[in-house]
Amino acid sequence: RYLWRFGLSWACAPTDCNSQGTSADRSLYMGSVLAAASPSPAPAAAGGSQGVQGLASFPPGFTMPPLSSVPPTSGSGQQMADADPPLPNPGTYEECHRKCKEVYPLQMEGVRLVVNKGLSNHFQVSHTVTLSTLGDSGYRFGSTYVGTKQTGPAESFPVMVGDMDNTGSLNTQIIHQLASAVRTKIAIQTQQHKFVNWQCDMEWRGEDFTSAVTLGNPDVLVGSGILVGHYLQSITPALALGGELVYHRRPGEEGAVTSLLGRYTGDNYVATLTLGGAGAHATYYHRANDQLQIGVEFEASTKMQDTTTSLGYQLDVPKANLLFKGTVDSNWVVGATLEKKLLPLPLTLALGAFLNHRKNKFQCGFGVTIG
Amino acid sequence: MGSVLALSSSPGRQNWPFSTDPPPSHWDAHPAHWDSPPRWERRDGRLPNPGSFHSLHRSCKDVFPQQIEGVKMILNKTLSSFFKVSHTLHLSAVSPSYYRFHVEHLQSDDYSKDKDAPALIGEMDSSGSLNAHALLHLTERVRARTVFQTQQSQFVTWQFETEYRGNDFTAAVTVANPDIIRESVILVAHFLQSVSSGLVVGGELVYHRGRAEEGGILTLAGQYSRPNWVATLNAGKGGAHASYYHRANKQIQVGVEFEASTRTQETTTSFGYQMELPEANMVFRGMINSRCIIGGVLEKRLTPLPATLIMGAFVNHRGDKLQVGLGINVG
Repeated sequence: RYLWRFGLSWACAPTDCNSQGTSADRSLYMGSVLAAASPSPAPAAAGGSQGVQGLASFPPGFTMPPLSSVPPTSGSGQQMADADPPLPNPGTYEECHRKCKEVYPLQMEGVRLVVNKGLSNHFQVSHTVTLSTLGDSGYRFGSTYVGTKQTGPAESFPVMVGDMDNTGSLNTQIIHQLASAVRTKIAIQTQQHKFVNWQCDMEWRGEDFTSAVTLGNPDVLVGSGILVGHYLQSITPALALGGELVYHRRPGEEGAVTSLLGRYTGDNYVATLTLGGAGAHATYYHRANDQLQIGVEFEASTKMQDTTTSLGYQLDVPKANLLFKGTVDSNWVVGATLEKKLLPLPLTLALGAFLNHRKNKFQCGFGVTIG
Repeated sequence: MGSVLALSSSPGRQNWPFSTDPPPSHWDAHPAHWDSPPRWERRDGRLPNPGSFHSLHRSCKDVFPQQIEGVKMILNKTLSSFFKVSHTLHLSAVSPSYYRFHVEHLQSDDYSKDKDAPALIGEMDSSGSLNAHALLHLTERVRARTVFQTQQSQFVTWQFETEYRGNDFTAAVTVANPDIIRESVILVAHFLQSVSSGLVVGGELVYHRGRAEEGGILTLAGQYSRPNWVATLNAGKGGAHASYYHRANKQIQVGVEFEASTRTQETTTSFGYQMELPEANMVFRGMINSRCIIGGVLEKRLTPLPATLIMGAFVNHRGDKLQVGLGINVG
């Protein structure tokens, strides 16, 4: 039952994959109708981005989208079970660090206008106009289709998400549930006319475990590709252990990277640790009360030979329609984002600023979301 | 542009608002109370005083949005009816960030109450740059003004101005940057005369002298004002500057400006508007330029807090550059 398959950490082969982190990250979170109804703004891919690079950092598009917090089978890993219950399903491998990462603010620069329009229960469309001080300004059109096969209170399949840039870059994902426990996803990413990422993965959810296999950028002609295997098992209702194996192959070179993951969930906190050949990544998420959430993250990378610690917090004041996120970093980066809903208009105003004291660089931006 | 500013303008000024030089400080801008009563007010049917030469184009220029970049936080504090202090913190992406301390000692009520009190305004930067104005009412009709400006430790501007306000005319003489060692000086003489209830004509003579050269520029100025609009024209050998200001209704004001300079051989036309929504506590200023610059600044008062939020963006389509700014004024 405990089939530990060890993987090797994988260096991001296409060098420009990080620059495409924009809408691909957004489309990652589209695995359910709930997520599709409120897409988070795409993170600005600034050159000096302080985004934390996980040791097993996947380029965008290589991870399964998070499913809603209520998995289709019995309860989530956070629920406390009674006397002799079956162990709950632990969720997916990528989600383990996600709760802490969601607390951190995204770097904003320039001006962004987003118009979301829901055309029907199944179809939603969004227009984004970005005026950027550092990079390129552009227009992006995105659409989301959610199918009719309903598997849960907030999940329907198939889910098809696509968006297209004014330069012709395309990002698309198709997620479908083949059987009650098997889910599959195909994701394609292009940079103008060139295909950058194409991957297919399949996830199998058992009663108390989740396993997934991903095949990335398979190229039969050249003989290259990446194969990723994940396995996550609930040991107790609070503890989940898992592992990841990444095998990559190029003509003349092949390699594999392993890492192990452990996650402990308490009443109002989640602690996760990932250890592997390429370093360590530890996160701690704490929900202090209804309004305040705190996340602490520690990353050590053997490739870069450095460590980073960051503290982030999120203050949610629903009565004032306000959401404030702040972060302090060991790289001397301080940043904050403020989001305010301007009722009665269906408008959300977002202001953000990041300051890097060491390099003396400052970045600020604001955005308006309609709908 | 027969003014002293044109002679001493740095090359970056053409790129406003995208120049990396520090923005030109308004050393020729008087505080608001200097020009009361408004020009088109009549007194006993006699011709009104035309005001000062510098504020001829002021009503049109006030419509245009101010350049805003980075994050600026301004904290204003009134310590007494004479004394005001303000702290400014500016975090900027393109220019160095600074903290600025500004202090004003002046009668904040109607100036005629205490004519003897000089108005002193001083501003000091975190890099040591100083900006100091002193305004004195020598008699009821004669005012004197002194301006000192330094850039860190170097003096950039030191000038002395005397202005005489007659019943229907204004005459002023300014001595700018007199330097005995380098034998250089700039002398400016202004004269404005009210010809009729709406028409003001005048001129400006600028004489500049350096060690190797000297020269003079004469500029004629005319302004015609009605209750709803004001049209102004400055024309001379140094160029031309025409502006038109129109108040459409209580909420909308529009300004059109045309500038031509013979020194830089360039002309610029700008169109700006200001929209005030007092019920929403909001003021929006927008502008579009013949240099393909489009900008807009939104100011919103966040009642009940004594704070104002300012958001603005300027886009230079020709160079494809964008500048975004956020500001908050407290007090």
